[in-house]
Amino acid sequence: MQKYSIFSLIKNAFSNHQNWDVVWRDPAPKKEYDAIIIGAGGHGLATAYYLAKEHKITNIAILEKGWIGGGNVARNTTILRSNYMWDANGLFYEHGMKLWENLSQELNYNVMYSPRGIINLAHSDAQLNTYSRRGNSMRLNGIDAVMLGRKELKKMIPFADFSSARFPIFGALMQPRGGTARHDAVAWGYARQADSMGVDIIQHCEVQGFEVQDGKIKGVQTSRGNIKTKKIGLCVAGSTSLLAEKLNMKLPIEAHVLQACVSEPVKPFLDHVVTFGAGHFYCSQSDKGEMVMGGDLDGYNSYAQRGNLPTLQHVLSEGVAMFPNLSRLKMLRTWGGIMDMSMDGSPVIDKSHIEGLYLNFGWCYGGFKATPVSGWTFAHTIAQDRPHELNKKFTLNRFNTGDLLDEKGVGTKTWIG
Amino acid sequence: MSEKFRLDKVGYINKNKKISFKFNGKKYFGYKGDTLASALLANGVHLIGRSFKYHRPRGFIGAGVEESNAHVQLYSGAKTEPNAMATTVELVEGLVAKSQNCFPSVSFDLGAINNFLSKFFPAGFYYKTFMWPKSFWYKIYEPVIRKAAGLGVAPLKPDPERYEHKYEYCDILIAGSGPSGLASALAAAKNGARVILAEDKPRFGGSLLTDEVTIGNKKGKDWADETIEQLKSMPNVIVKNRSQVFGYYDHNMTVMLERTKDHIENPSEYTPRQRLWYIRAKEVIISTGSIERPLVFGNNDRPGIMLASAAKEYMKVYGVLVGKKPIIFTNNDSGYDTAIDFKKNGVDPLVLDIRSNSEGSVVKEAKNLNIDIKFSYGVVNAIGYRKVNSALIGKLNDKKSGYESLESINCDCICVSGNWTPTVHLSSQSGNKLKFDEKINAFIPNQPRQNESTIGSANGLFTLKSTLEEGFKKGYDLSKKITDKDLKIPVPMSNERSYGKQDKFWCMPLPKNKQYKRCVDFQNDVYVSDIELAVREGFRSIEHVKRYTTLGMATDQGRTSNLNGLQLVSNIEKKIVPEVGHTTFRPPYTPVTIGAIVGREVGKYYRPTRKSPMHNWHENNNAVFVDAGLWLRPRYYKQDNETLAEAAKREATNVRNNVGICDVTSLGKIDIKGPDSAEFLNRIYTNAWKKLPIGKARYGVMLREDGIVFDDGTTTRISENHYHMTTTTAQAVNVLSHLEYYLQVVWPELNVNVLSITEQWAGVAVAGPNSRNLLKKLFPDTDVSKEGIPFMGFKEADLFGVPARIFRISFSGELAYELNVESGYGIFMWEKIMELGKEMNIEPYGTEALSTLRIEMGHVAGSEIDGRVIASDLSLDGMLSKKKDFIGKRSLKRKAFLNPEREKIVGVVPLDKKTMIPEGSHLVSDNNAKLPNPKLGHISASCWSVEYNNPFSLAILKDGKKKIGEKLFALAPLKNQSIPVKIVSSHYVDPKGERVRS
Amino acid sequence: MLEIKCPYCGKRSQNEFSYGGDATVKRPDLEKEVSDKEWDDFLYYRKNPRGEHSELWHHVAGCRQWFKVLRSTITHEIFKTVKMNEEL
Repeated sequence: MQKYSIFSLIKNAFSNHQNWDVVWRDPAPKKEYDAIIIGAGGHGLATAYYLAKEHKITNIAILEKGWIGGGNVARNTTILRSNYMWDANGLFYEHGMKLWENLSQELNYNVMYSPRGIINLAHSDAQLNTYSRRGNSMRLNGIDAVMLGRKELKKMIPFADFSSARFPIFGALMQPRGGTARHDAVAWGYARQADSMGVDIIQHCEVQGFEVQDGKIKGVQTSRGNIKTKKIGLCVAGSTSLLAEKLNMKLPIEAHVLQACVSEPVKPFLDHVVTFGAGHFYCSQSDKGEMVMGGDLDGYNSYAQRGNLPTLQHVLSEGVAMFPNLSRLKMLRTWGGIMDMSMDGSPVIDKSHIEGLYLNFGWCYGGFKATPVSGWTFAHTIAQDRPHELNKKFTLNRFNTGDLLDEKGVGTKTWIG
Repeated sequence: MSEKFRLDKVGYINKNKKISFKFNGKKYFGYKGDTLASALLANGVHLIGRSFKYHRPRGFIGAGVEESNAHVQLYSGAKTEPNAMATTVELVEGLVAKSQNCFPSVSFDLGAINNFLSKFFPAGFYYKTFMWPKSFWYKIYEPVIRKAAGLGVAPLKPDPERYEHKYEYCDILIAGSGPSGLASALAAAKNGARVILAEDKPRFGGSLLTDEVTIGNKKGKDWADETIEQLKSMPNVIVKNRSQVFGYYDHNMTVMLERTKDHIENPSEYTPRQRLWYIRAKEVIISTGSIERPLVFGNNDRPGIMLASAAKEYMKVYGVLVGKKPIIFTNNDSGYDTAIDFKKNGVDPLVLDIRSNSEGSVVKEAKNLNIDIKFSYGVVNAIGYRKVNSALIGKLNDKKSGYESLESINCDCICVSGNWTPTVHLSSQSGNKLKFDEKINAFIPNQPRQNESTIGSANGLFTLKSTLEEGFKKGYDLSKKITDKDLKIPVPMSNERSYGKQDKFWCMPLPKNKQYKRCVDFQNDVYVSDIELAVREGFRSIEHVKRYTTLGMATDQGRTSNLNGLQLVSNIEKKIVPEVGHTTFRPPYTPVTIGAIVGREVGKYYRPTRKSPMHNWHENNNAVFVDAGLWLRPRYYKQDNETLAEAAKREATNVRNNVGICDVTSLGKIDIKGPDSAEFLNRIYTNAWKKLPIGKARYGVMLREDGIVFDDGTTTRISENHYHMTTTTAQAVNVLSHLEYYLQVVWPELNVNVLSITEQWAGVAVAGPNSRNLLKKLFPDTDVSKEGIPFMGFKEADLFGVPARIFRISFSGELAYELNVESGYGIFMWEKIMELGKEMNIEPYGTEALSTLRIEMGHVAGSEIDGRVIASDLSLDGMLSKKKDFIGKRSLKRKAFLNPEREKIVGVVPLDKKTMIPEGSHLVSDNNAKLPNPKLGHISASCWSVEYNNPFSLAILKDGKKKIGEKLFALAPLKNQSIPVKIVSSHYVDPKGERVRS
Repeated sequence: MLEIKCPYCGKRSQNEFSYGGDATVKRPDLEKEVSDKEWDDFLYYRKNPRGEHSELWHHVAGCRQWFKVLRSTITHEIFKTVKMNEEL
């Protein structure tokens, strides 16, 4: 594989960029693989990469019904963080942050990890206390967190509403290492490396059924023929229920649409990722200059990647309440993604009752930041046939035992997030 | 400066009204009716901005929303607007605009160095470099890239303008007032339908403003004007200009943005800047027209190169010549319209036609006018840095793969015409799966998913006759379906030029050994070579090409570039265009001001503010308020220079020693009536309710079905089948929905009604050892003795002529009462209590003192009931009935809930009896342990105990009851605090509850 | 914005309503023995179809009645709305 660097860029410039290799092959499916990952989104690609790299399992296929990185990794707000309260989540995502920090170098692909800091604004003392509980928990777990007062915030985000807000800003919790990454690059970087280690990424190949004998996985039926395998990892986010149905499985998730939008590009004025505490809104500025904004779900089960305007109106009203200067910018582009909303807001990375079938779902709206660590732990779970210490609490049967991981404390009303 | 390029007797602008404006610091003149673009062009200004990546000089390519280059910064300060499209900005006196993305100026821009280095910055270059050393990305490379990117500058001050929303319903919404839109509007309106006709531009008529046509023996423009007047006079029609339908959502909901202010010279202060219309139409007719495509050749992005249709519009609408030595470069007949207009205005154009010939009448007309036409010719490369000044033109060989000859020609503008792209955005947004039409070489709508019809050139029809016929028919058919009326008006006769066949060829080959940059996406600087590189590297899906090269992702969303990009990919991949597919169209059609989407929910009005009837009294008595959900509640009543802590201590002490009064109106109140009410409460609450006597209250806990504690409060039996429930302020809304859910969905057989009465009753708590004495004075005719109103007793009584409800319930742990009167009497009650309590030194207390009182009593509140705890965690096990089912009971059998080492609520006191323990601290056994340090529990609430005069906290602690007496550490690393503490009972004060019963 | 026909009030815009999820969920009859699995299914396992979905809506800013809706999760089209005591 060609190594990417400033030198290769200069060298290729003199041959008018005619000699770059293809980033990945376009292979036909083989008859049999050691393992098959379904879904060439961020998590699926990362899983295949770590299976090959960490566990030396390279006879793998990733089956994708559309194109590489076309699911939620292509339609998110690119935020990375590990600012969780529960230990199971905090330690898991913190391992993810460590993977993010070295990802560009590891993949030889600039994923533009940018630790610009994520600031959660608080609008009352009570909310500050709730954030303190989370922030102190983070610190005791070895995760970076600081409290910010109004004075510090006025320096960092002077354009926020410090004077006439309905819910005044009291302070904030900040994770300085939180930040953003370039979403497409993550998918492409993993795909390129996985491909170079021999992983077959097969696009436009839809899984239509599974072959299960005596409670064991034997293979899959696809739009491009039957393929044999003993291990299958399911990484299909919003489509999980649909594939599970083919296995007669029902899972504790619902599909909901989440919208995000960007403004037209403007010169940089917002350095951090900022979330609004008197509502549900988050905002950062991309390298291109667009304000990247998101918030609540549309609020009803949906498999349509299309949202409605009232939700955006609600979300943007939160944005303008936080940053009144956003009002004069223009909304350029909106899009919707299908979220696999789990019943406690936390994911499942687990084995299943079928031998050789491994599950990875329930990412709600936090899947992007988990991409590396989800792939890393899922690869371990598939290769070793047992969960890693980091994902051992993300079991499916926690919904039977009551060991739930409800960060927000809202229960099973997935649509209110 | 005089307008060198303005024509005398042409155009629809008002030449009697001269307007002055500034661009890049220089003063110019234009006329009323000009856009910023037409006024600049009249003054000969073509160089308007710089491109995004390579900072190449750019001019206008269009005359409307298709513009890709000409984005400017308007005004300054709070009213500044970045990225305004100069082609849509209407000229007003005093307009100030400047170029964006250039330094120090648009004519000399240092960023243009990127253009010379562009070889090193092909598509996606940033993925391949800037990785070493690791820390440099965020610290060095990224800041440089960020600074170079972005276009205009965002305002940093709040937007001073107002935006309004309007909701409208109609039978038929018509988007676009060109010939097909006008025809359908007229046909539908005449047939009785309620019609809204929306036009994005200031002028109605669409292509009729510029095309040489007649309708019913009138000039096209005159017919359009008359039709609009006719429509405006009809009561069933709303006609709106400056109004763009930008989004087509589910259930035939469309959203339109009306620009109401920026074009007015002296607007009233009440005029909103923009108005957002939510329009629910039974039928939507999309007559949004089509946009011309550029032709692609060497350096085709230089200023002075624009769409032929735009050049025509500048001439005919604004009376502006975009050049005096024009080249018309076309692959179809519509370029000739522009050529003829130049000729008629005294300018000799040169037409270069890719085709070998054409049979259209328009071409004959051009030949008759002796216009110089070169068939099989095209522009190979445009020359001129800040504006085109000559062109290398070439005669194409038979295969169009190279040139038979090349020559250089002087020119001052190049007008390109590369066929038309139907504007199908709204159709696609509504769910219409588009199809590729080989004949016109573009996508058109296919099967509508909603009640939507696309007509006219948006539907691929390019003759006036067919367009009018379709418009009249569609308007009639749809209105007939809706109104059931049958008034059909005849289609007027029309005359137009005839147009011959187009050629699909659009991208000029490079001459041997030349590497001209050929631009596809102007604003985002995407060139033919970038798309070729992307495909070569394996980014073959059109979505990958788009994302890798950023094709079509600029603020124009690819209006002029998408189809050219697609065709390029299809040429390279040797696939037909429909196989390559297209990327999805999503709202909005053009960028929409965020403020307009938000409307009036801004600043203080972001969300409603709920105030109790006693709010003004609190305000007049130095209350400092706190937000409790949407409610504003007094947090404390400030005296002199007190701090919050001092005030809370004073107010709480007065309750413990004397008597205080607290506004509790915001607590949720729900009226419950019906014969099955007792049974219902018995199922909703965890404890038993069937034996509650009339006139008594009971404390209750509600769970969610998953066993987690949901809310708590008291419910009082007022009469046989009538109960009064209270909830916490935070959960009032959710509890009501919860009750309704169980009554209507799960147990419809129960005969019970629930109703929120939170705002019907004003509530106060009168608390403290002196409260009974005060009550005696408030209710002289009522027995309020210990026996008269026992603990948890209830009585209706007369408060000096006002009916009142007395509940003997207590959150403070003292002898206390809650009094309710109808809201209108709230202030009377409050003032009466203050008046009669004066001699007892009554004092109002706020939520901070209330917290202090409840914390040291060990009463739980929202900070403990946080959606994650079960009843036993809060030592409320005793509240769980063993005899009956209740919501959530079955869930309590789950393993994790039965774990004996689960968290329990405890009290915590610092060993030094001085240090307040910050809320949100965690309890650990070893304060120096290696991270991650295992956490045993957390501090949920802290106060300064007024009873013991030392800090006291509540905590939820693993296996807490067993740890009472133990010493632990409360760690708050965020505050660098490590506090040695002792675990005690959560009931710190009056553990036996004697006071409330006194 | 969806347009939802409340069986009591008629067609209204979505912002008057709140959502209530899968309408086929039925609280187990606790008079009988309920297995752990049955209870957990009730709590956490809902229908999640791509296509027609029976669901509950609550007319919170109107008559405050809960009712049933048959809606497509692909196109969001609403086929039918009925009162709680009627069949979809």
